[in-house]
Amino acid sequence: MMLSVLARGVLAACLLLFIQSPAVRFDSARNLFLLENWTGAGQLPADRYRDIFQISVDAPDVPAMLGQYRVEGGALVFAPQFPVQPGVKYRAVARIPGSTPITALIDIPKAVVKPTTVVERIYPSTNVLPENQLKFYIHFSAPMARGFGYEHIVLRDQDGAVVEVPFLELTEELWDPEGRRFTLFFDPGRIKRGLVSQQQLGISLQEGRRYTLSIDKGWKDAQGNPLLADFQKVFTVGPADRQPIDLRAWTVREPAAGTRNPVTLVFPEPLDHAILQRDLDVMDASGAVVNGGVTIGPEEKSWVFTPDVAWKQGPHTIRLGTAIADLAGNMINRPFEIDVFDKIDEDLLHSKYVFPFTVK
Amino acid sequence: MTMFRLTICALLALMLFATVGVAADLTDSLKLGKADMKSVGVLTFGPDGVLFAGDSMGGQIFAIDTQDRTASTATAVEVMGLTGKIAAMLGTTADQIAVNDIAVNPASKKTYVSVSRGIGVNAAPVIVRIDTTGKLEALSLDNVKYASVVLPNPVNASTGGRGGNARLQAITDLAFVDNRVFVAGLSNEEFSSTLRAIPFPFSSVDKGTNVEIWHGSHNQFETNSPIRTFLPYKVNGEQTILASYTCTPLVKVPVASLKAGSKVMGTTIAEFGAGNTPLDMIAYSKGGKNFILMSNTSRGVMKFSADGLETFSPITKQVPDKAGVPYETIATLTNIMQMDQFDSQRAVVLDRTGDLRTVALP
Repeated sequence: MMLSVLARGVLAACLLLFIQSPAVRFDSARNLFLLENWTGAGQLPADRYRDIFQISVDAPDVPAMLGQYRVEGGALVFAPQFPVQPGVKYRAVARIPGSTPITALIDIPKAVVKPTTVVERIYPSTNVLPENQLKFYIHFSAPMARGFGYEHIVLRDQDGAVVEVPFLELTEELWDPEGRRFTLFFDPGRIKRGLVSQQQLGISLQEGRRYTLSIDKGWKDAQGNPLLADFQKVFTVGPADRQPIDLRAWTVREPAAGTRNPVTLVFPEPLDHAILQRDLDVMDASGAVVNGGVTIGPEEKSWVFTPDVAWKQGPHTIRLGTAIADLAGNMINRPFEIDVFDKIDEDLLHSKYVFPFTVK
Repeated sequence: MTMFRLTICALLALMLFATVGVAADLTDSLKLGKADMKSVGVLTFGPDGVLFAGDSMGGQIFAIDTQDRTASTATAVEVMGLTGKIAAMLGTTADQIAVNDIAVNPASKKTYVSVSRGIGVNAAPVIVRIDTTGKLEALSLDNVKYASVVLPNPVNASTGGRGGNARLQAITDLAFVDNRVFVAGLSNEEFSSTLRAIPFPFSSVDKGTNVEIWHGSHNQFETNSPIRTFLPYKVNGEQTILASYTCTPLVKVPVASLKAGSKVMGTTIAEFGAGNTPLDMIAYSKGGKNFILMSNTSRGVMKFSADGLETFSPITKQVPDKAGVPYETIATLTNIMQMDQFDSQRAVVLDRTGDLRTVALP
């Protein structure tokens, strides 16, 4: 009985000693590293915090992590500037004067997440492209990681041979603000006539042949997870398009007054999907902007505008921006390349165009 | 008399310094606050320790007072595994950051590195400063003297930008020339050449003008194309922009011709070959001669003479491989990702393995 009481006392003393010993831990809920149970923390001058409590990634010869120190509830606290990274191991070392350093290795587990992100679609949506096709837009279902795009894209011809360096590879990568749309330009040096690139490597796409643009599922999303599946777009190549957009070939389907039926512009060839969404406006007879929503029709061959409120009778105009382009980058009355023997007036390059229609 | 002379001298000196102080300091227009960058990419230094930084995600250009003006005579900097060290400093691993650009403060010789911490669109912008002993520190953006200007990015008036504006401009290069910040960009939608000239100090009313630069070509076509990198340089005494393109490496354009709303014809003076994109250019003198060093994605680092650039005839017809200004490829400089001038005899380079070091200009 006596022994048992003694043993309990020793155990309690040890426990007390253990509880009161300085200890290092990571508070995952608050993203904080803490040095606790050290009574010296409160008296420590702020410029000594960093000497006493050092936090770094667990790797040789690396600088300390960026963050702020403070004393909170008697504990010396380090708040890293950025949240800790799942899958990374951290080293927190407390060097209390006169004591053996306390080292804690903190492993932040990486959650296993099932891939869910997919390539939703690629524009142009048509499967017949001109030989001088300028770009693709690849749309994803969720935000993607930056900096790894080109290694997951391959273009093959109908024999399965890889087309060498067909695209302009930019370290910046061209994404939309949400990180869900990737712009993939063909190498312009192989599209434009007379350049060394085209002479050495040839054009990327050849008329009459079939190609497959493949996106492999190794492309990671912003969460670091791969895509759910590979994606392929198969297309055939038609003749090069070097003609400027000719507005005379466009038609308009006019809506009726008092309805919210859309006004629809119809073009004989597919136009650039992204630019169609942002570079046209509708104005009423007084020149006031008509508010509404835009959708793009099948194969990007029409532009459909639905007003927020019912149309008023009278003349209207669709104001066309200068960026509107076809699949080969030809613009309104302005081809992608201008033949110097067929000079285009400078004023024409900056002209604004309007397309009139009447609401009856 | 002596006293009078001294007083006059003192007054003259005071007036001189006062004039210099008012007129010459680039930081005067900068205000203290939080530089709210959405991203940080291209960097370049102006005078007085002012760092210009491109924020492609935010569509903005920032001018930041680094308060880093102490001149240094250091001749080298070396940080092996810089990318890994920066990643560790940001609490992560090298595959979770992107090093976007480097710029050396010509006075202090400190190297500034623009970094994205993270791989998604919400990656945090960080500027890391490295002194010549190799010590790293983060440049605080929370409480700095800065100014910024938003680049125009008009939205459809009818939709009022509902659903967001998907157009973004990747800012590919910046330079400070004659109190103007020149900005080259590449849109994620239209394929065109825009060089924007923004007066500095930045003003809310004058956000500068876009100049569309065309280059006469190759066969018989005129074309325009996004500028990838450019270098302000005096050709035969005339301030010129030497612009490297995504398709045609070198075009010269006199700065005097860059007037708003005009179609400017640049002169193609060199084609450096296929399958290549230029990255950075620096100009230097050696042995009484002037040179330009250009780093590239796949054709290594090229050196060519900058003397007599005005004497090269414009390339107006198709060339078999390379043409115009002759160049040599520097065999000792390989896998260079980023490059900037360190001093008159050296450059700082960051290679693909993540090592930062000074190299002698060839």
